[in-house]
Amino acid sequence: MIARMISSVLALTLGLGAANADELIIGSQIPLTGSAARAGMGMNEGIQVAAKVFNETNGKHTVKVITIDDESQPAKAVAAIERLNAQGALAFTGGYGSNIIGPASDAAERLGKVYMTSGGVATELSQRGLKTFFRISNATGYAKALAGLSDTLDLQSFSLIYSTRESTAEVAKLLEEIWTAEGKKVTLHPFDPSIADFKPVLHKIKLQDRPEAIAMVGYENDYVGIIRAAKVLKPDAKAIMGTWSLATPKMWQDFPDLMNNVYGTAPLPYPAQFNTPEEQTFAEAYKEMHNKEPDYLGIFGYVQGLLLFNAVAEAYDAGTLNSGGVQDALRKTEHDTLIGKVIFDESGDNTNFAHRMAQHQDGAVAIVWPKESATAEARFPAVPW
Amino acid sequence: MFDLVAQSVFSGLLAGAYYALIALGLALVFGTMRIINLAHGELVLLAGYIAYTAESRFGLDPLAALPAAIIIVALTSVIIYLLLTRIRVDREINSLILTFGIAIMLTNGILMIWSADIRSTTSGWYLDSIIIGDTLFAMNTEILFAVIGVLVVGAVWWWLSKSWYGRALRAVSSNRDAAKLMGIDPRTTEILSFAVAGLLASIAGIALYSGKVIEPSLGHSLTIKAFIITVLAGLGSVPGVLIGAVLIGVAESLTATLWSSALQGLVSMLLFLIVLLVMPSGLFGRTRRRG
Repeated sequence: MIARMISSVLALTLGLGAANADELIIGSQIPLTGSAARAGMGMNEGIQVAAKVFNETNGKHTVKVITIDDESQPAKAVAAIERLNAQGALAFTGGYGSNIIGPASDAAERLGKVYMTSGGVATELSQRGLKTFFRISNATGYAKALAGLSDTLDLQSFSLIYSTRESTAEVAKLLEEIWTAEGKKVTLHPFDPSIADFKPVLHKIKLQDRPEAIAMVGYENDYVGIIRAAKVLKPDAKAIMGTWSLATPKMWQDFPDLMNNVYGTAPLPYPAQFNTPEEQTFAEAYKEMHNKEPDYLGIFGYVQGLLLFNAVAEAYDAGTLNSGGVQDALRKTEHDTLIGKVIFDESGDNTNFAHRMAQHQDGAVAIVWPKESATAEARFPAVPW
Repeated sequence: MFDLVAQSVFSGLLAGAYYALIALGLALVFGTMRIINLAHGELVLLAGYIAYTAESRFGLDPLAALPAAIIIVALTSVIIYLLLTRIRVDREINSLILTFGIAIMLTNGILMIWSADIRSTTSGWYLDSIIIGDTLFAMNTEILFAVIGVLVVGAVWWWLSKSWYGRALRAVSSNRDAAKLMGIDPRTTEILSFAVAGLLASIAGIALYSGKVIEPSLGHSLTIKAFIITVLAGLGSVPGVLIGAVLIGVAESLTATLWSSALQGLVSMLLFLIVLLVMPSGLFGRTRRRG
């Protein structure tokens, strides 16, 4: 009894908890409550699917994901990382919101352990010189997707409505730079995240801007408010487009009257077409675990989780867990994933990240850009009102 | 420019009436019992989710959920009161801590029951637009609940100033011991105050669900908005709530039109601070009698 207690204490204090049974412990710090709960829950579903798939297919190792709810608060996120470390986590994943991911990944860096996320797009996250920070998505990939679609549609003027939160403001800034450099007209409309009535903004757009397209960078509740206001005021635009959380089956299911013809970023079409064996494995595991179709948050959670689990297993086998083996495994090669090739640079950013653009088309989410990934022609000009 | 400003003022007036509905329950309890119920926003939100359940599960119109919302929310409100009565010392500060804790519990309860997804009505009529004179635009729900908001403010004002229970409530608020000597049961009147606050939160919740988007974390910002309006109005002033709410609504809307919607929150807070600097008791608050 005493010997077991001593060995347990030693295992915990020396961080060897994972080594005993080839069970690799991964810490997941994620918002399951608070303002980012919706996104956190979606990402968490993907991470859990990644663990299931890894455990069923790896053959050598299994992972155990310990999840701590950071309540959408930076201080709690840091505390979660420290607690997960104390519980023997070999690396960390999760995180949603650049303001939360920043301090949490700083804490992981101090502990010398990898932090992998898809939930923060602010550029400064990857400019801190951290050795252990990795992310699969970034603001540039979202901005490029919107700009790419608008080039294809030959749109020349935009009203850009964006939330003043860090990540949304950053994507908006990138978009403004791209469009302005191309000689296109952009009018900015930043909004406070707490506002719910967008009619004054849309009225300005209708009477003063008169753009060819309305671009939105915000979150689900913002999109609903903006499109509702647009349906009341009916500005004479040819297209309305946005970033994350917009071109999803869930948005169509909840707000069918608002979504038709709206463009948004999306990794996969809906109904989903899972063609490769990896995609099919993911889709089957996801449906089995969560009894629903995968959404983009689940896909990103799955990709970040699986990349991390594989890298930890590789470093474990090589005996380099404590000497930078996980980050080396992530950086040294290209990774084929559900969101395309992932290539990490020195800063931990996925340099290959480029989103696709989809359009709500009568209940389906059709990929319309880039051309090589398109599942349908873009309906243009077309707006929900 | 005239069209822009006219629409902005119109939107601000409608927003003000909606804000008044949200603030009235908090103002009632604050004005009569000097208790700031930090769970008030969550009560409003709870009513919104009850409307969502009625609509999505049973296909009912959001307004048809009002009786169920009143029963559940008023009951919750009364439970909050009963918990508050357990406080024996430092009632002002401890009631803040207690109601803040209850707010967190309610938020997480809502999250567990209804998930973190955003919700809003899908009923077409509420969201259809009304155009007045080719210049003013609104949704049916905004007009409907603006009218209801004004009527409810009037009804609460009448109830407090003319009805026996309303006057009893004011008597308890003014001097609890003297009210007892007059044959008033303070406990019953205070319970009634919380129950009425729950009723008002229910109406506000239906308005919220019918015109905006609800999500579990929204309660906190509703409480802050209600608190600002309550203090701006002045302690115990029911008409002041409507006027304070309309001031905030119009200021926010004009800010979005003439400057930037990013400054809306800042301008409403500045307005709040300026009024408090010039009129420390609020727009219609009575200065406390000395001696």
